[in-house]
Amino acid sequence: MNALYRILKYAAILLWSAFVIAPFLWALTTSFKTANGITGGPTYIPWLQYRPSLQGWRDLFHSGGGGIQIAGPYLSSLIVTISASLVSLVLGTLAAYGLSRFTYRAGFVRNADITFFFISQRIMPPVVLAIPFFLMLQFLHLLDTKIGLIIVYIALLMPIAVWVMVDFFNTVPRELDQSAMLDGCSPFETFWRVVLPNSKPGLVVAGLFCLIFGWNDFFFAFTLTFTQTQLLPVAIVSLNSSVTPWWSLSAAALVSVAPLIAVAFVLERYLSRGSLAGTIK
Amino acid sequence: MSLIVTELSRRVDGVAHLDGVSCVLERGRFYVVAGQTLSGKTSLLHALAGLETPDAGKISLDGKDLAEMPVWARSVSLVYQQFINYPHLTVYENIAFPLRRRHLVATEVERMVHEIAATVGLTPLLLRMPGTLSGGQQQRVALARSLVKGSDLLLLDEPLVNLDYKLREQLREEFLNIFAKQSHSILVYATTDPLEALLFDADVLVMHEGRLLQVGAAQHVYAHPATTTVARIFSDPPMNLLSGHLDATGLRLADDVRLPRSGHLGDLPPGPYIFGFRPGDVGLASPGISSEVELAEISGSETFLHLRHETMRFVAHLSGVRTHAPGENVEAFLDGAKLFAFTPDGKLAAAPSRV
Amino acid sequence: MSGDRSKMLFISPGLIVLVAIILFPLLFTIRVSFSDWDVARPGLDWIGATNYLRLAHDARFWESFGRLALMAVGSVLLQYLLGFGLALLVWREVRARRFFRVLFLIPMMTTPVIMAVIWRTMFHESLGPVNDLVRLLGFAPLPWLSQSGLAMTSIIIVEVWQWTPFMFLMLLAGLMSLPREPFLAAAIDGAGPVRTFLRVTFPMMAPISIGAIIIRLIEASKILDSVYVITSGGPGTATETSSYYIFIRGLRDFQVGYAAALSFTYLVIMAISLTIIAKVLARVMLVRDHAA
Repeated sequence: MNALYRILKYAAILLWSAFVIAPFLWALTTSFKTANGITGGPTYIPWLQYRPSLQGWRDLFHSGGGGIQIAGPYLSSLIVTISASLVSLVLGTLAAYGLSRFTYRAGFVRNADITFFFISQRIMPPVVLAIPFFLMLQFLHLLDTKIGLIIVYIALLMPIAVWVMVDFFNTVPRELDQSAMLDGCSPFETFWRVVLPNSKPGLVVAGLFCLIFGWNDFFFAFTLTFTQTQLLPVAIVSLNSSVTPWWSLSAAALVSVAPLIAVAFVLERYLSRGSLAGTIK
Repeated sequence: MSLIVTELSRRVDGVAHLDGVSCVLERGRFYVVAGQTLSGKTSLLHALAGLETPDAGKISLDGKDLAEMPVWARSVSLVYQQFINYPHLTVYENIAFPLRRRHLVATEVERMVHEIAATVGLTPLLLRMPGTLSGGQQQRVALARSLVKGSDLLLLDEPLVNLDYKLREQLREEFLNIFAKQSHSILVYATTDPLEALLFDADVLVMHEGRLLQVGAAQHVYAHPATTTVARIFSDPPMNLLSGHLDATGLRLADDVRLPRSGHLGDLPPGPYIFGFRPGDVGLASPGISSEVELAEISGSETFLHLRHETMRFVAHLSGVRTHAPGENVEAFLDGAKLFAFTPDGKLAAAPSRV
Repeated sequence: MSGDRSKMLFISPGLIVLVAIILFPLLFTIRVSFSDWDVARPGLDWIGATNYLRLAHDARFWESFGRLALMAVGSVLLQYLLGFGLALLVWREVRARRFFRVLFLIPMMTTPVIMAVIWRTMFHESLGPVNDLVRLLGFAPLPWLSQSGLAMTSIIIVEVWQWTPFMFLMLLAGLMSLPREPFLAAAIDGAGPVRTFLRVTFPMMAPISIGAIIIRLIEASKILDSVYVITSGGPGTATETSSYYIFIRGLRDFQVGYAAALSFTYLVIMAISLTIIAKVLARVMLVRDHAA
């Protein structure tokens, strides 16, 4: 009974693992194909079923004729995502500390309501914001620029930082703040010298979440940028026409997604420290 | 120059954490705030530190009202019962932290840190991180950090309660030595254990349900509890309190227990009283009150015998391990000269003289 | 505690940014919804509730809710079941547990649109590996992207692939934070694995389950990326979700005024539905917890 159970358990795990890996393996294989490897039907193993070629990968470095200059969008994505994440992290952490430590009251609005206001921004479907953002950036002449996108992303990523950091700060004992103040620290000094240095795990998780959500956005980049600024997801999707051969497409997709896989390793280490179970409210 | 507390009150969710507390604390003296859990000790300490704002009342130090002063401008230290230190700093930096906030010169900081570390016995541990230290050592670091500031007000909120018995005794002795050298601070130490107050031989403030019940030298409060509540709280184990009657011939406890009138009860008018006696003043000897054993509670090398005589219930504190089965009958001898007498509304009428 | 000035210092920057960047656009959208803003007639005029009356009769809009509900609920349910199953499998006594944890985490980290691009090639009816697998299992190849039911299924499959890791993460964290005592008690009482799960594990996981499901439902209700890439709302309008329809009206046809009305209505409906669902779920889970 026990042996059967164990076999089933590992079988299930392996089955799901296969499902998880499938798209990556398919893209990897496809990226080395040429027309021959595709038109006859799906093929999988290089040399046995098709003749491999590096064309797909070479196409990453020149545009036109089905290729794509991937360095540009990569850089744009990096700049926009990192800048927006940094600002969001700073603003969000400050706000989260305030919400965790102080009582705010404006009429009937209190801490819990303000926190909810921050976090409820995530409920907003991107579509609802797309039009006003478009008009707003158009008015500011910031359409199709990195700065315009960074501003928009800050608004989108800050709630994430607030969400993670409020819960994290709530686990730091208030007695620590009190000791700092008794030792002569103003509230800001308390935050800066005592609470923040002890918040590294929370900051890492919040920062990584911001980076991931920012990097993976498609919709806002799609509606708010066109030719001058192109982020990675938009660039990849614009390849998704019948003109672009599958091998370039697959190579481009893999290259875009690879850094995220690396991030997964880093994030897993921090998440397994149980800092996530408390963030569900 | 002193700290004057006037009518301090604070309510949280309808419950009074502080209820009209007034007292005067003098510099250079050691005060112990004694009371049960939730009696308002922590609230009082936090109010003195400025961490909690009272709903009403005033605190002034040397004539200056402290209400306007933010926490970080005050000269107060607080040692918590949960060992609170800065986890990201070494022991040295922990102790140096308040000094650095005052922008003292590095050489001065170093001198002061080493001096305090020596006083508290932390010199070999200065480069360690608090997380790697034992509970007792962590509490020493917290204490060092409080002492190094030389604050006007040094508060300790049950600092030894999370340590084991032996360590508690040791640290208590060290505390006494350190505190004896303080001449300009006001020391306030909160505890639930009345014995600690007696051991420190300090001035005691007895608190209960947010109210200050009695203030005085520990020994005095112990020998002359102002009310039955104080008698119950400031006594470990709690004093036995039984209602009774005093008349010309003697006193009567319950219905049929009669005792002669002792000298110290001589001046009291006849009438109903509440009589109190310490469990330690009850012995098993004849002739005594015939009582039935309800429970024999053995604690360490002592026994608490829960006895019952008809409607009268009381506890005897005996040394040694005594085995008495429930239901057994014993003779409990009560010395009339050790009785306390309280008026029916709980105020002290007479206390035994100390021999 | 004094320091009122500093407490404002902490929250104002974030609050100001958020109000400026989110609240104003929202209010602006509401205002625009009462106008006739169009490619031909740009600018804010006032046409009263005309847009709202129009959308009340817009069958395509209301049908999109049905499709959205089907897709969102279907995929979230599958994600929950699979995620829970995986969490249970990996929870204890598994070799290389950390490796599997990282592996199962990866899909959630990847860019949804980009993976959707890859999935589109996989669902290709004649050249894609999915139909190859179908043939291997003995069935005829399926028209994944050209038949409405299958199109929706393909999107659900992609969503399940992408977001089950989220459920897996949440539920695994939840499982690992459960106290040991009830399990020991159950073991002593002789409960088998199924019984232990139904009576002990599942009820204790109720709060986290609810939280995870609600979060995923909120995110799933915004589905647009995969629809855009894989089916473009097709075939016809078979996979057109509300977000997608609003996107077409607002940013393709550029009927900004009408799209604003659609957006606001959509937002209100979503807010109300999600709140109701959250309350219902909470009650269902807690009742079951009490019964057990």
